[in-house]
Amino acid sequence: MTQEIQILGQEFVLHPLGGLFWKEKSMLLISDVHLGKVAHFRKFGAAVPRKAIHKNYVLLDQIVAEFEPFQICFLGDLFHSSLNKEWDLFENWVAKTPSELILVSGNHDIISPLKFEQLGIPIYNELVVEGFLLTHHPEQRDGLFNFCGHIHPAIRLRGFGRQNLRLACFFQSQNQLIFPAFGAFTGTHTLHPKKGDKVFAIVEDEVIQV
Amino acid sequence: MYHIAESWFQQQGWSPFPFQKQSWGAFLDGKHGLLNAPTGSGKTYALWFPIVLDYINRNPGYKTKHKKGLKAIWITPLRALSQEIRQSAERITKDLETQMTVGIRTGDTTTSERARQKKSMPDLLITTPESLHLLLSSKGYKTVFKNCSAIVVDEWHELLGSKRGVQMELGLSRLKTICPNLRIWGISATIGNLEQAREVLLGPSSPQLANSVLIKANLNKKIAVKSIIPSKMETFPWRGHLGLHLLEEVVPIINNSKTTLLFTNTRGQCEIWFQKILEKHPEYAGEIAMHHGSINKDTRLWVEQAIRNESLKAVVCTSSLDLGVDFAPVETVVQIGGPKGVARFLQRAGRSGHRPGKESVIYFLPTHAIELIEASAMQKAVLNAAVEDRTPYLNSYDVLIQYLTTLAVSDGFYPDEIFNEVKQTFCFQTLTHDIWQWLLNFLVMGSQSLKSYDEYKKVEVTEDGKFKVNLLSIARRHRFQIGTIVGDASLSVRYQKGGYIGTIEESFISKMNPGDVFTFAGRNLEFIRIKGMTAQVRNSPKRSNKIPSWMGGRLSFSAKMSELLRQELYSAEQALDTQAPEIRALAPMFAKQREESIVPQPDQFLIETFKTNDGYHHIFYPFEGRAIHEGMSSLLAYRISLLSPITCSLAFNDYGFELLSDKSIDIAAVLDNNLFTPGYMLSDLQKSLNSNEMARRKFRDIAVISGMVFTGYPEKGVKMKHLQSSSQLLFDVFKDIEDDNLLYQQAFTETFEHQLEEGRLRLALERIGRQEIIWKQCTNPTPFSFPIITDRLREKLSNEKLADRIKRMTKLLTK
Repeated sequence: MTQEIQILGQEFVLHPLGGLFWKEKSMLLISDVHLGKVAHFRKFGAAVPRKAIHKNYVLLDQIVAEFEPFQICFLGDLFHSSLNKEWDLFENWVAKTPSELILVSGNHDIISPLKFEQLGIPIYNELVVEGFLLTHHPEQRDGLFNFCGHIHPAIRLRGFGRQNLRLACFFQSQNQLIFPAFGAFTGTHTLHPKKGDKVFAIVEDEVIQV
Repeated sequence: MYHIAESWFQQQGWSPFPFQKQSWGAFLDGKHGLLNAPTGSGKTYALWFPIVLDYINRNPGYKTKHKKGLKAIWITPLRALSQEIRQSAERITKDLETQMTVGIRTGDTTTSERARQKKSMPDLLITTPESLHLLLSSKGYKTVFKNCSAIVVDEWHELLGSKRGVQMELGLSRLKTICPNLRIWGISATIGNLEQAREVLLGPSSPQLANSVLIKANLNKKIAVKSIIPSKMETFPWRGHLGLHLLEEVVPIINNSKTTLLFTNTRGQCEIWFQKILEKHPEYAGEIAMHHGSINKDTRLWVEQAIRNESLKAVVCTSSLDLGVDFAPVETVVQIGGPKGVARFLQRAGRSGHRPGKESVIYFLPTHAIELIEASAMQKAVLNAAVEDRTPYLNSYDVLIQYLTTLAVSDGFYPDEIFNEVKQTFCFQTLTHDIWQWLLNFLVMGSQSLKSYDEYKKVEVTEDGKFKVNLLSIARRHRFQIGTIVGDASLSVRYQKGGYIGTIEESFISKMNPGDVFTFAGRNLEFIRIKGMTAQVRNSPKRSNKIPSWMGGRLSFSAKMSELLRQELYSAEQALDTQAPEIRALAPMFAKQREESIVPQPDQFLIETFKTNDGYHHIFYPFEGRAIHEGMSSLLAYRISLLSPITCSLAFNDYGFELLSDKSIDIAAVLDNNLFTPGYMLSDLQKSLNSNEMARRKFRDIAVISGMVFTGYPEKGVKMKHLQSSSQLLFDVFKDIEDDNLLYQQAFTETFEHQLEEGRLRLALERIGRQEIIWKQCTNPTPFSFPIITDRLREKLSNEKLADRIKRMTKLLTK
């Protein structure tokens, strides 16, 4: 189940896989996929199950099929490591995905921009679209609302009977929305909301505002 | 032959014990064996002597013509003990005028020393299981060991119940092949399963076992156990773990004996006691000291020396003083808080009264009221010598993978040869060819089939079928990671100018801000910054309540101890004059307990329920020990959740367990549905969320030991947080897509067999099945429940729809 929100008069859909769909632009935004991480581990002798490589592509296909976006914008850390053979899988995925692809580069994106350009993917350090600032690292800039990733936000909830729980989330503060990590093989970092912050937690197949 | 040894003993003015003579004889007859002797009994002389005599025997010109090369290995689990062992070896080699050399090789040995040893090995080598494996990982190791004719595994009981024991078994399996004349000996303190200990050491159905002896020292030492009973029971707390209420009772004990050791269960408790004694009794300044595993080595050695010189009145310590070194001046031992094990209690008692004819005196200081029951039970246990078993590990594939990589790193190995060796060990006696093939595939391909895009690289197979690591970087990384102890990451604590104070857990220091003051190694230190793997500090005049707490120390009662504990408890309802003094002293607490509830009898099983601000408490009292309660609470919570969706947190101690929930649980339904049945126990446990969480934690160690997660180079270090999260991610990946992975499954096997002690759990459920269940609905917490409900370290369980829970929790989300 998705959650719809409005920011600056625009309509957005938050998806439990960790993506956000911008209705007016038909643009799907996704952050921190960390492709190639599994292959990277294996190359250095850590036997992460090989099948885990495919999980990310399955999830990507699933979310793309749901929105059929015109554009997909990755908010950085698309690729986890230097070039490895997983690039071939990525090429295949790009070839069969009809949407236009854009990358706002992150700290992990160390693969040469030329390789991306060969696939027709333009790379930007940041992007400004109608009052929205798209970056990898969280930024504050006057007059702009920031979409970003990098943090892999999660939230801790407490309840009666000393219960507590940690969930990945979309974390919205006054002029910023931090995306959860989309990738299957990634960790999280707990944030503590202040007054006025909104938290959209990912609970199995639902997005719930807490 | 051993007249040489006897005359040496005469020269010292000693006479050898029968067990020493037996060991000399058996060793010289070419036998293998296990020697059961306590610390400080002269066990080192029982085995160093025949080793040296054997050399003399074979080299009649030994005084002038010295044959170089490694002749014997002495394995010790604690490197701190190695100096002591070396001294006793050197006494013999020198006095008998041999030219034999003695060397130490542990994690503390400098690289230059190691290089020197590599060129020319000492005749007698003292080392640890880890360092032995490091030798196996170096090129040409077979020549080093070629003429080694004896290996002694000291404190074998310490290794036996851990993966270090498995590591030792594997090391021995290799040495049996490459050292043709090897004699294998173990030394163990008294444990319940000594025969099995011998079998594990030598290998079941091995020729070594057939040609072996078990020698018992049988030194009947008198041990006097005295409980410290608070004079005012009414004000003695129902909960707590520090025991500071009784500090003043300890003072006369310290004053009346030459040297007193005060054993605490955790390093944190040790720091606090040391601090508080000095605070209340400044006159002891300079006369008391502290000793625990995180304090730097020089300080520890200084303290140990000071005990021997009789220059200290008292030492507050932890298990760091359990083993090894002999402290003759120690007259009295105080155990603060329940020691949780009879063997450990006896070991500690044995630290005192080493002078001939003197009895060992140990005081038991309870930290809260119910611990007095434990004190009384412990006295009975000591009388009956009811000592626990150490359960050896089976099928530890993570250790095997590490070992195979070790062999691949050095000279490479041929699988057929190694399979036969490994199969001889106790741990892998049921190893099949299928599993063996799985392990080989895992080493070479990182999976069970080959795919073209895969770049997995670790072990490679040469044309003639040898398994070999060719990449230098992999070999280097592997050597750093040899070992089976995966602790919390620790940082060294230093002054800015570099003075080293000790080590501290990352989890503690990461919560500190610059300027914060904490107490460590008996000093008040101000935290400045973290630099690399070092926490920089300066002395501070400010005082602080922040004391690092170290995990661990949460041990569980053994089956025997729980049985004794229950018997003591049942005596509460008997005539006063038949009760032990401890139980009599508890009369006010029992009276309070009876106000709302009962003190259960042998045929009764007590359940208490009540509500507090924390939620609805449901408390169950099997009195079976922590480990069993952990499993039983998880099992019961799962079964209750089948009746209706529920979320609860679990807490447990040695006496009982609690399900704490935000809704009340229908106990009548629990009883009607017979939820304590042992039927379907294992499958229910497997489904319970909690066992999944336990397996997840076990998996962290497995991932590190098997080399799937790299712990980082020393001093540079991967932060524990990262290690934790990468092994957690791995666990989830296995769960999702490769749940037949042997290492993933091993995490569950270890959880059920070692943590939850599934066999004992079944017996406990059967016992409950025969008891009458008494359910008391109380208005207030009872004395029995107090230590449990105040425990903050909890497990969680839930099968409610997550979304429903969150909607309820949202209301409570503040800040």
